[in-house]
Amino acid sequence: MRRFVADLHVHTLLSPCAAVEMTPRNIVWHAAQNGIDIVAITDHNAGDNVTAALAAAKGTDVTVLPGMEVETKEEVHFIALFEKPRQLFAWEKVVAAHRSGRMNDTDKFGAQFVVDAEDNLVAVKEEMLLASLTLSLAEACEQVTALGGLAIASHVDRPAYSVLSQLGFIPPGLALTAVEVSRRTPRAEAAQRFPAIGGLPVVTASDAHTIEDFLSGPKMAFNLEEPTLAEIRQALYNENSRGVVL
Amino acid sequence: MTVNDLVGSLPLTVVAGQDKLAAEVTGGYVSDLLSNVMGFAAPGSVWVTMQGHQNVVAVASLAGLAAVVVAGGAVPEPETVAKAEAEGIVLLTTSLTSFELVGQLYRSGVKGQ
Repeated sequence: MRRFVADLHVHTLLSPCAAVEMTPRNIVWHAAQNGIDIVAITDHNAGDNVTAALAAAKGTDVTVLPGMEVETKEEVHFIALFEKPRQLFAWEKVVAAHRSGRMNDTDKFGAQFVVDAEDNLVAVKEEMLLASLTLSLAEACEQVTALGGLAIASHVDRPAYSVLSQLGFIPPGLALTAVEVSRRTPRAEAAQRFPAIGGLPVVTASDAHTIEDFLSGPKMAFNLEEPTLAEIRQALYNENSRGVVL
Repeated sequence: MTVNDLVGSLPLTVVAGQDKLAAEVTGGYVSDLLSNVMGFAAPGSVWVTMQGHQNVVAVASLAGLAAVVVAGGAVPEPETVAKAEAEGIVLLTTSLTSFELVGQLYRSGVKGQ
């Protein structure tokens, strides 16, 4: 068992709000240089840069988790995390079927770049990613879970795009694994400041849109045998002597 | 003015809470943020929203609202309708936009508080 530092919420340059420096290769390089063992790539409503991140991490000690930050029809953001790329690809098909069909306005929202592991431009994603899907939070969490993924409610301490801001409280029976607080809330104080979290495990992450965010933002440290999603799930629930270190 | 009066004069469809239409309407509130409604809507209000999620019913119950109108042609989820029925919350729908409906409610004498 050893300690793994994880950042479970990182945007690449595919997210229109992220800086162009957020290439998969650059993120992985900075992770390796700064002792960040696990990085989840979580772009808005898309996973096109995950393959490049996985390729960039080959031969390094950095583990990339395929992920996505999903916006549901209630305008709630949550992080979907998967173990295997094929699970993310299956989830992307669900997402594609529930997009609004609007095209991105690069001038207003920023460009959405798909790149390869060497930072070469592969494509500019045309569909508008910063928009809600036509899928409800309950359905979306259910489907992510059914595909073997984890659903973590994003930045529940923020006044917008969070399950608490949109829905007031966490609906009973929602297939959520944990909730996330942003850098504005110390993780240890989250349950007290936001009683609506209930008994769910609390994580924190950088939600990085720049390299500076990525390096300075909050992280989790887990005691795990291996850097896998299954082990992280156990750590969040203190199972089999896996656990959260800080 | 009762919920029934509004249902009789405006293009509203009752989808749950048929037996609670006699409730007095003392004001109105419009918001799609449920936490905002919990914080600011006064008891007895008719609430106009486009959210059809089942938390809408819990919020209406908590705030003691007279009725909820899901506007803009949005369709409340089946769980929402069932929950409203079970908890005795009047749930209405309309194809009018929130703006249009609020205008008509205001002209009918429903004011904010």
